[in-house]
Amino acid sequence: MYYAGIDVGSLTAQAVVINAKGIVAYKSIGVKPHPVQSAKTVVDMLIQEQGINWNEVKFCVSTGYGREQVQAEGLSQDNVSEISCHGMGASWLVPDVRTVIDIGGQDAKVIRVGKGGELVDFVMNDKCAAGTGRFLEVQARTLGLSLDELGTVSFSAERTLELSSRCSIFCETEVLHYLQRGHTKADIAAGVNRAMAERVAALVRRVGLEKEVTMSGGVAKNAAVRAELERMLNVRLIKYDTDSQIVGALGAALMARKMGGGS
Amino acid sequence: MRTLQSQSTDIYTEYVRDWKEKGGKVLGYACVATPVELIEAAGILPYRIKAFGHPDTELGDAYLARFNCRFCRSCLQLGLDGTYDFLDGLVETNGCDHLRGMFENWQYVKKYDFFHYLKVPHFLREDSLEYFTEEIQLMRQAIAEHFGAEISDDALREAIDAYDEVFAKLKQVYALREKVPPALTGAEVMRLICTGSSMTARDFSALLDEVLSEKEGARVPEYKARLMILGSATDEVDLIADIESTGALIATDALCYGSRSFWSREGESGDPARLLAERYLGNLFCPRMFTEYEKRRDYILETARRAGVEGAIITYNKFCDLHGVEAVSLRMDLEDAGIPVLVLEKDYGSKADTGRIKTRVQAFLERLGK
Repeated sequence: MYYAGIDVGSLTAQAVVINAKGIVAYKSIGVKPHPVQSAKTVVDMLIQEQGINWNEVKFCVSTGYGREQVQAEGLSQDNVSEISCHGMGASWLVPDVRTVIDIGGQDAKVIRVGKGGELVDFVMNDKCAAGTGRFLEVQARTLGLSLDELGTVSFSAERTLELSSRCSIFCETEVLHYLQRGHTKADIAAGVNRAMAERVAALVRRVGLEKEVTMSGGVAKNAAVRAELERMLNVRLIKYDTDSQIVGALGAALMARKMGGGS
Repeated sequence: MRTLQSQSTDIYTEYVRDWKEKGGKVLGYACVATPVELIEAAGILPYRIKAFGHPDTELGDAYLARFNCRFCRSCLQLGLDGTYDFLDGLVETNGCDHLRGMFENWQYVKKYDFFHYLKVPHFLREDSLEYFTEEIQLMRQAIAEHFGAEISDDALREAIDAYDEVFAKLKQVYALREKVPPALTGAEVMRLICTGSSMTARDFSALLDEVLSEKEGARVPEYKARLMILGSATDEVDLIADIESTGALIATDALCYGSRSFWSREGESGDPARLLAERYLGNLFCPRMFTEYEKRRDYILETARRAGVEGAIITYNKFCDLHGVEAVSLRMDLEDAGIPVLVLEKDYGSKADTGRIKTRVQAFLERLGK
């Protein structure tokens, strides 16, 4: 007997299938123009590539911004917010987790969970690119670096330059100003990563930090931001031993198992 | 209610159109501190300025900065693009700096023949009540002189009585929305209050009679949780409807386009101008009143208890300094009282943000175990 979770986000879509013991299969794809199309595609790929018999899926929960449309199409039986699902998924992967930091391309969330992964409190960024992956994208482009390089290059910085503004647009002009004055990309990148971490740390402080802490989402892959955050919050950020992108879909599958009577 | 719903999110309603066609004058105001009884006693229709989440601000942005409250920029937009050309003048208050920027730029461009600045004190003390009484007399004089209307004490008392009748009926509407099971949704109530804010007291009172008789035995469909909403100025009926579409019921509110516009109008003076000062300054549940936090907090907690809410949403428009700061203390006090809180900072009138708002509300309901 299987239970499934489908997470259709703004950039990627995932499906995770679990049974009573744990993860059976998962798949992640780039999104299609419509959320329902993304959900169908990721499920089809899971069936074709990993031999999952979808008829054996007893209950499916959708999450992510396309969650309601996916349910309306009959692909899931219920929908749960990605905030609850990320908390549940993280708690299953790291049972002692109490704070989940999830920083994606457009959203930044800090989620506090209880012992069983239940949602205790959360905070989500306001409608602003600062503190999200988009902020790093803009600054990396201005510096002529890839996103990966933005993280790695700052470890060779001799000093961390101060960026006075957290606004992505204003920050870009400060980055340009530093470049024109001849500062190294490494020193500027270190400043960018610190500015990013400061914004995220503020979000964490707003909801309150409780150990253990995990970090997921694309920005979690930036080692410099992680290191800055660990320093600012004086905490170790635990890494998942699976693909951090599937945490939301995994949480949805766990919810499905609960709703479907599979505990 | 169908007629009401079709009218209420129009700016130039059929009601106002009829009023104007009969030669009536209309004065625009925005702040809840404006004593509308005074305007109505002069035979003029007081019209509370609204934008109903109007998304465009390009004209407003030419005069206000992008870091000004978008509610004010949206209202200014409608003022400058001609939507509000039916107004015969404006009454400005110093409710907040964004609002002042809106009014003064609006007047700078449109140059109404009548523009009055009513200065509202930030403290509630005997000397500020005296000052506000004088301010009300100055407004009375300005309206009387410009519109050639005599505003007698008797006319003022009559208008005060008419508004008291409206406020009493609105409390009955709140009793219907706050009971279990509720008879009205939060979106319906906001729509009703917005509609009434463009009508005379007598006509709004008649409309309230209809609504009360129509809704007496009504019952809203199933909902997951009873919530309260409070925070900065918003007339976004769609926002309330979006929140309620997640299964939340906005069982009560402490918004200035909601209960804060009428809940308490106590005063005791026999002099109508002084009485108006007491009614407004003494019952102004707004963070612009610097030393009145405890009073606001108690009002909010009492409202929450009365409606038996399971959680509260504190919402404020991006760049709203007053409510942004107040939200911190209010959140702590509500949670101390055992009421979980969702703080929802939002961009006014941004339809593109609906999905993110609904996600946060749904997660909040899940946090409440719903």
